[in-house]
Amino acid sequence: MEEDIDTRKINNSFLRDHSYATEADIISTVEFNHTGELLATGDKGGRVVIFQREQESKNQIHRRGEYNVYSTFQSHEPEFDYLKSLEIEEKINKIRWLPQQNAAYFLLSTNDKTVKLWKVSERDKRPEGYNLKDEEGRLRDPSTITTLRVPVLRPMDLMVEATPRRVFANAHTYHINSISVNSDYETYMSADDLRINLWNFEITNQSFNIVDIKPANMEELTEVITAAEFHPHHCNTFVYSSSKGTIRLCDMRASALCDRHTKFFEEPEDPSNRSFFSEIISSISDVKFSHSGRYIMTRDYLTVKVWDLNMENRPIETYQVHDYLRSKLCSLYENDCIFDKFECVWNGSDSVIMTGSYNNFFRMFDRNTKRDVTLEASRENSKPRAILKPRKVCVGGKRRKDEISVDSLDFSKKILHTAWHPSENIIAVAATNNLYIFQDKVN
Amino acid sequence: MEVQKEAQRIMTLSVWKMYHSRMQRGGLRLHRSLQLSLVMRSARELYLSAKVEAHEPEVPLPTGRSPDPRLHPPREAEAAAQAAPPDGEPPSPEPMDTQETPRAEETPSRCSPRPAKASRKRRSSSLSDSGDAGLVPSKKARLEEEEAEETPSEVPDRLQPPPAQAEGAFPNLARVLQRRFSGLLNCNPAAPPTAPPACEAKPACRPADSMLNVLVRAVVAF
Repeated sequence: MEEDIDTRKINNSFLRDHSYATEADIISTVEFNHTGELLATGDKGGRVVIFQREQESKNQIHRRGEYNVYSTFQSHEPEFDYLKSLEIEEKINKIRWLPQQNAAYFLLSTNDKTVKLWKVSERDKRPEGYNLKDEEGRLRDPSTITTLRVPVLRPMDLMVEATPRRVFANAHTYHINSISVNSDYETYMSADDLRINLWNFEITNQSFNIVDIKPANMEELTEVITAAEFHPHHCNTFVYSSSKGTIRLCDMRASALCDRHTKFFEEPEDPSNRSFFSEIISSISDVKFSHSGRYIMTRDYLTVKVWDLNMENRPIETYQVHDYLRSKLCSLYENDCIFDKFECVWNGSDSVIMTGSYNNFFRMFDRNTKRDVTLEASRENSKPRAILKPRKVCVGGKRRKDEISVDSLDFSKKILHTAWHPSENIIAVAATNNLYIFQDKVN
Repeated sequence: MEVQKEAQRIMTLSVWKMYHSRMQRGGLRLHRSLQLSLVMRSARELYLSAKVEAHEPEVPLPTGRSPDPRLHPPREAEAAAQAAPPDGEPPSPEPMDTQETPRAEETPSRCSPRPAKASRKRRSSSLSDSGDAGLVPSKKARLEEEEAEETPSEVPDRLQPPPAQAEGAFPNLARVLQRRFSGLLNCNPAAPPTAPPACEAKPACRPADSMLNVLVRAVVAF
């Protein structure tokens, strides 16, 4: 009966789109690999779809490599925890790629409770000419074998197979919100609401607990961990963000249990902005190191902030994503939108940051020129090769042509997950169940 | 008065959301529960401060007639709540934790998950500090609830066990919540608190709903 209610609630918002989309197709994470050749998406149904960029042909220099489906596999299945009588969702919360060390690709995917290491490998040759088996694999009658031959490898249609190489389970009481691969490529961490565990890729039956903020008395709980990430170069350093809008940087060399932070980043609250919902909109939904490792970027409900690791008392930059929602917080609380967890990403050179918003809008901020742009990911605006037109939300009374008023925004169309190619200006934007890939205009 | 009504509405909304979140796939989300309880606490503080200003008649405190005697001694013992999980708690504190609604300070949010277990949680001492007579559950509130309630058409299975365990900390509220929410959930699946995505600038105050008023009074009592 409870599921019926859930389904009804979801169905209503999708029917408005005039295209019924199943809940299982909603994309829940997007991630480029380290070269940008592969793009992985995870969805609510526990599936992972990997796209590969096609090789740029010399004939068509103006046609940039496009992304096509490379592999699809079911990463997680729904499970049932009998002890607590709880269903464990199969939704993929995060995917993180490992750097490529051989011909195969490796990625980590996680749902609420279990992390899995997947190996994605290609097979384009198969051995032929066995002595003891015939072409279909049936055993040959030994008396018919009169000669000996060496099997040869012959080309076959490309087959991409994904196999689970490791399953890291039973280490989290609460729901996993982040995973992060360490720069040593030997360890990674997984973070849930109250604890962070450190794993070795080779060992699945043990993990080290490195952060534990669970109070002795749960009634005294005031904050939870919302995101965590390793430093891109220093394998001993990581950060984690909290629901109170603070970030803690920890050094694993200091102690085995990193409950005491090395640095504590918090911005004093602006009293003029204080409102009824101040506490919950200050909760950080995502934290990302810059590629340089010098800065961290955090996303809370209304803003994106860039922090210098050397300055803890305030961010160096604050960008308003959709400040016009500040007066609508009560309505956003009613329709649960205020709990939406937006992610944020850096471009390859750390000069531009991007994050999503509502109405399928996403925003980019250029840190150098201080210019920002709002773009929309929608089918109508996305004819291939068409250039995206900047959008504008009108706040005041007078609405210009092409502007959209705040009250017309569709809050069921939210862009929570975006990704930026590590070196080129290619972005992937997940709009509910659709994936959009945009590239720079080629002159 | 507007402020008070708005605060009441938000408190009701929060309790509804908290109750509904227990039924979602994947179990109770700690972060969401924490955020809901924060909003509930803010709404309650707003409501109380507005009420104090308006000098409204309060529900009288019947001395020594609290329906649950456990509510009184724990006021002093709240400071020593470290030793809190008493021996009577279920032997597996870990699994329980994920289903508990955490509280920053005292909050009525505990009320929805509480009915499902025989709870021994103590009330916060700040309740005794506020000195607001309307905060202590009273016999009068319970009588009003029983008068106003209607029989729901069907009660989900999940709600059946709690009446048997109604000797938890907040039996009246537990009963009220069960009946109210089962009514809300079964009779009106497009639940009242979910507003359409196109947000209004200022949500209009709903006309006084006797059922909700009763519910909110019970919530405020804690």
